[in-house]
Amino acid sequence: TVTEQSTSIPLPGVNVIIKGTTTGTTTDFDGNYQIAANNGDIIVFSYVGYATQELTYSGQSNLNVQLAEDAAQLDEVIVIGYGTTTRKDATGSVEAITAEGFTKGNIVTPENLINGRIAGVSVNTSGAPGSGSEIRIRGGASINASNDPLIIIDGLPIDNKGVTGSRGVLSSINPNDIDSFSVLKDASATAIYGSRASNGVIIIVTKKGKSKFSATYDTQYAFGEITNTVDVFSADAYRQLVASQPINGTTINENLLGNANTNWQNEIFRSTVSTQHNISMQGSLFKVLPARFTFGVVDQEGALKTSKFERRNLSLALNPTFFEDHLKVNLNVNFSFEDNRFGDAGQIGAAMRYDPTQPVFDSTSPFGGYYQHRNGNVVANGTTNPVASLLQRTNLGDANRLFGNLNFDYKFHFLPELKAVLNIGYDRTSSKGFNSTDPLQATTDPDILFKGTFNKNSQERTNELLDGYLNYNKNLDNIGLDFTAGYSYQRFTNEGVNGRNITDPLSVDDFYADPDVVLIGFFGRANVSLNDKYALTLTYRRDGTSRFSKDNQWGNFPAAAFAWSISEEDFMKDSNTFSSLKLRVGYGITGQQDIDQGGIFLNRYRGGIANSQFQFGNQVIQSLITSEINPDLKWEETTTLELGIDYGLFNNKVSGSLNLFQKNSTDLLFVAAVPDGANFSNSIIQNIGELQIQGAELSVNTDVIKNEDWKIDFNFNATLLDREVKELALGQDVRTGGISGGTGNNIQIHREGEAPNSFYVFKQLYDTDGRPIEGAYADLNGDNVINDNDRYVKENPGANAIFGFQSNVFYKNFDFAFNLRANLGNYVYNNVQSSRAQYELLLDNAVLGNIPTSVLDTGFQRTADVIISDIYVENASFLRMDNITLGYTFSDISKVLKSVRLWGGVQNVFVLTNYSGIDPELSGIDNEVYPRPRTVLVGANIKF
Amino acid sequence: CTDDLNITPNDDQTVLSENLFEDEAAYKQVLAGIYANLALTGTDGPESSNLKNIDAGTSQFGRVLLYTQTLSADQMIWSYENDPGTREIQRNIWTAQNPLLLGMFSRAHLSVALANNFLRETTEAKLDSRNVSEDTRANIAVYRAEARLMRAMAYYYMMDLFGKANFADENTPINAQPEVYDRTQLFSYVESELLDIEDDLVAARQNEYGRADKAVAQMILAKIYLNAEVYINEAHYGECITYCEKIIAGGFELADSYLHNFMADNNTNSATNEIIFPIVSDGVTTQNYGPTTVMVNGSVGSIEKNGDEVGVGTEGWGGALRVRREFSSLWGPAFADDDRNTIISAERPIDIPDISDKDTGYIIQKYSNATSTGQLGADKTFVDTDFPLFRLADVYLMYAEAHLRGGGGNLATAVGYINALRTRANNPSTISSGDLTLNFILDERSRELHWEAHRRQDLIRYGRFTGGNYNWAWKGNGSNGIAIPAHFNLYPIPVGSMAANPNLTQNPGY
Repeated sequence: TVTEQSTSIPLPGVNVIIKGTTTGTTTDFDGNYQIAANNGDIIVFSYVGYATQELTYSGQSNLNVQLAEDAAQLDEVIVIGYGTTTRKDATGSVEAITAEGFTKGNIVTPENLINGRIAGVSVNTSGAPGSGSEIRIRGGASINASNDPLIIIDGLPIDNKGVTGSRGVLSSINPNDIDSFSVLKDASATAIYGSRASNGVIIIVTKKGKSKFSATYDTQYAFGEITNTVDVFSADAYRQLVASQPINGTTINENLLGNANTNWQNEIFRSTVSTQHNISMQGSLFKVLPARFTFGVVDQEGALKTSKFERRNLSLALNPTFFEDHLKVNLNVNFSFEDNRFGDAGQIGAAMRYDPTQPVFDSTSPFGGYYQHRNGNVVANGTTNPVASLLQRTNLGDANRLFGNLNFDYKFHFLPELKAVLNIGYDRTSSKGFNSTDPLQATTDPDILFKGTFNKNSQERTNELLDGYLNYNKNLDNIGLDFTAGYSYQRFTNEGVNGRNITDPLSVDDFYADPDVVLIGFFGRANVSLNDKYALTLTYRRDGTSRFSKDNQWGNFPAAAFAWSISEEDFMKDSNTFSSLKLRVGYGITGQQDIDQGGIFLNRYRGGIANSQFQFGNQVIQSLITSEINPDLKWEETTTLELGIDYGLFNNKVSGSLNLFQKNSTDLLFVAAVPDGANFSNSIIQNIGELQIQGAELSVNTDVIKNEDWKIDFNFNATLLDREVKELALGQDVRTGGISGGTGNNIQIHREGEAPNSFYVFKQLYDTDGRPIEGAYADLNGDNVINDNDRYVKENPGANAIFGFQSNVFYKNFDFAFNLRANLGNYVYNNVQSSRAQYELLLDNAVLGNIPTSVLDTGFQRTADVIISDIYVENASFLRMDNITLGYTFSDISKVLKSVRLWGGVQNVFVLTNYSGIDPELSGIDNEVYPRPRTVLVGANIKF
Repeated sequence: CTDDLNITPNDDQTVLSENLFEDEAAYKQVLAGIYANLALTGTDGPESSNLKNIDAGTSQFGRVLLYTQTLSADQMIWSYENDPGTREIQRNIWTAQNPLLLGMFSRAHLSVALANNFLRETTEAKLDSRNVSEDTRANIAVYRAEARLMRAMAYYYMMDLFGKANFADENTPINAQPEVYDRTQLFSYVESELLDIEDDLVAARQNEYGRADKAVAQMILAKIYLNAEVYINEAHYGECITYCEKIIAGGFELADSYLHNFMADNNTNSATNEIIFPIVSDGVTTQNYGPTTVMVNGSVGSIEKNGDEVGVGTEGWGGALRVRREFSSLWGPAFADDDRNTIISAERPIDIPDISDKDTGYIIQKYSNATSTGQLGADKTFVDTDFPLFRLADVYLMYAEAHLRGGGGNLATAVGYINALRTRANNPSTISSGDLTLNFILDERSRELHWEAHRRQDLIRYGRFTGGNYNWAWKGNGSNGIAIPAHFNLYPIPVGSMAANPNLTQNPGY
């Protein structure tokens, strides 16, 4: 029997081989194995993450082995681009988390398995069920082009753009299928993916089939509750407020007040129940074909009424080997069926706004029994009943996704050091959406009264990949050689239709199709190591993209890295403090071409859609308008310089890395002004500007206690980031950050010398009591006029420091885990307050509207006077506990039932912040945020 | 297979130029694109735009023209000052960052770029190489004149509003940094272009509706001559009279009813006799947030909720637009029954002490999405009403003014024109020759042409826009109006435009 040393739990799947032969087996689920051996044979026991043991067989009938966890996991295999390495040999900045280390809790989408766990990686997920996340590695690298990292699933780089019926590109993936994440951060690690690597690379490897049978069943129930809403006036307070007639110069008609007491935010949110079930089985089909099969079901209710996320996942992995393991074939096929009902998040704003003195229901209402402010047959101008708006709308999106890959890995018979790998990947998402409103929905338009709307839409994205490479790996006496060279071809398509409103005879379908995106790359990598002390990696990739014209299609992306394992040097070998120490230096150039516009280098004309036609002689003519053109567009390039130390202290009880890096993105793909009259727009995407990101990352992993009964570990990471726009087109500021409250207001600016997306505001003046004076701002340029020239830069949304802390505690069969995250120095523009908390908004067009109670603090009257004030730029630093879980495992229950783990936990436990809005974690502008519910979880994990 | 990198569009709305002209009908569609730039903001619905850094709907040509020529003066107030740029325009405190000014500058220059592109694609050499038929070539000769007319019109507005422009013609390469023409250069360019194409254009009133004819060129000529003292410090009133006479001789007549010009069917009712050039709007096929959509929805009163009468939502846009005291005061008792007087004053104070209070100040009901026969437009937001950019009444008033300013012509004719306008408006009080003064004409222009994007130009010509000799409510950011400096006679060059072309310099004072 093979058992785990510290817990004595049997280890299944351990490789048992007689050294120097091909005779071998693996342990079964009880850790048992059988092998035919002769006296004197050396039997090797190896298992990922554990130190390999060798025992000499001397005729025992039972040979029991205890494998010890390899503390620093220096030999842990890390997946990198087009190959693998080990933690010990890695020359670039790569971090990996495997299934055992994933965050536990109510994880519906895969990226949350690693949220807060890896230095330099931030994941921001909204509160909507199954929603996608904004993932940033080291703050991204671009301004106008994409900042999304490249995500690669089993060798298939996926498209970062989703379809209308889906919540996000990762929403369709079952987290239970994932075996490991590798995050490639610096250029030397990412350059092998040159064309799309500037924002970092996340490599996801899914679980594979194994030859021994095992099965698990996971289930969990989650009960969610919204804990925080924006403070608006209660009905009674509202009546008093209206009676006090607080709007200067305007009298509110108090007859508009109703008699009800409604908390509209309570009416649109609900307590939620969500469930997840997951069955996975692995084993050998027909005794020869290792396979894995999973079926997962997620039913998640959204806190906003009507919103829900349902997902069914089927995945199959077949992993046969042929010719005595010379040919390995991996087939992964995944089906995902995502059924969404989208709740209109705009109704969160409507609920803040709706008159609290009016009831939800009104039996006399012609609009389905919901109260509405009525104006004869139609509703009055102003907000409509948010409960009715939610319940009378059915917005469904079904997204079906098929993705997978077929991978051949052939080790040449005549030259086993050389292998050829061929990977064919395919990813297709097709979605259908139905968006209808009840005929009884309220409207201001008598012509469409009692007609409702009904739209269909559909969309299909595909992604086809073919890549192959040769790898030569040979260890000479002191020299290790590893060469890789390959080719990659990928094509993305996207097309769809936004269907007409079938209740409106004038409306028409709108078909669209993006130009295909084709990416072709040639790549090579050489690793040379000497005496296990020095390692050099050279990488080169030449990439072509269809997004640029023939002259500018190709980009070259070289990288080099050098690592020195100091701890292998004689003078360090006997150190008691440093069990391992490695110094890394990396430099490389990566590219960026991910822009929205396709075919911008082409001389194109665009015809108007049905409602964008022109008329000649009272005949409709489809006008053709020349499209903006830039034949000179080329690659944006990011140069990364990195200095890193990987360390292990005290026999690797403490380990981690310290990295310093600087990224300079030049020739930024940036939408900037062109001379008027010289193109077919006033701004087009160009290669202008430079962004610099400097940062430092520290990670510390410690095993505090590790003995028979106890095991406690801490994992801490910290990231410091400093972003600065070094250069912009002709030195010009660029306005960005659209806000609500007015049409087309911007609150942010890109300016040379400042962080991107800095807030650009007026400097508020205060009276002697410290109250802001409405509309009074500092005349910063001293010209006695307060106008746009007096705005100044105040802070930016990017955090200066990001921290993650995670701990696991095992005591006998109990397990306990929690994680914490903190951001410091991130600022938010509170658009909820800036566009709502003013007395004039007690009038909502023809009716009454509620406003946030913070108006009592400011006394502000008019939105237009205050919306650009710097008082709405708030420090949103926070400390957040995402998850806390406690579990107990019953092991060795019976021959069939191996173990049962019961667990419970809380997600979104608390947030500590001074930010006044409902959630500080958002990207710069707070406006009708879908709140993250606090969720209580119970679950079971049953192994057979 | 690296050739796969050379992609072509998949969308049926997008065509490559090398394929486009295989169909000779495309020439007319590309010409329509030049015209459409005055009505549409983009090809994909009213919220799409081919300009950036300004709200899409707001970037419509007529809309920004209305803001720069009318909202900046004494006739109009926009209630929603959190719409960027509006506050600074209507209070005369604008800066070079104003997005509405960028919209005006960029939209007009886009007309130039589209016209240049059409001219490049229709050279003799290109038509030869494509074996274009003789019939189409004959049409193209006219199309080319119209393209040049649209380009000249764009430069006319740049000369008037900004005093300079990037000068690009069909010989200027794409993405070049064009040279900059000042007012004098623009004046002579616009003049010479219009004179050059006059003969190639279709005779007045003979072209398809929506396309420009000779009279449009003559109208712009008449306007630059009337304002020549402002533009180039030279009097050209005689030429103004000449071109007014040419237009009038073209066969235009006043519409039967003043309000026909501003109704949903002004492309078919008697206004077609009067409107010289419209900016087309259709609630179904040519949807845009242009001046007529804004004015019909915007002028629905917050108290009156009179949207049903004018064919939009009952409450419209909740009282977005009102008029200032000075305009309201133009309508004495003598104008009580004048059709041009659409003021609604009941329950309303004449003054607007607080711009956001939509219950103060009078409102008007000039533009409508109802037809002359009482039908309502197809859409409740996007109106069918075309914007009358140029119309005969303006020519009559220009004639009278040019006469008084020494341009010749005939006094009796001038008085007759004024009285024709009054009679058409059912105003019994006609004037006599002694009443015809420049001050009278300025007021009469406001009564006849208010909210038609002429007012700033008129006040500048009369020397009353800047300085303190005429202060209107909220001029210079004072509720009763204060003086503004003389450099406000020109708008500043938008910062984005200036940065992109180093040849551009800022106007003095900004």
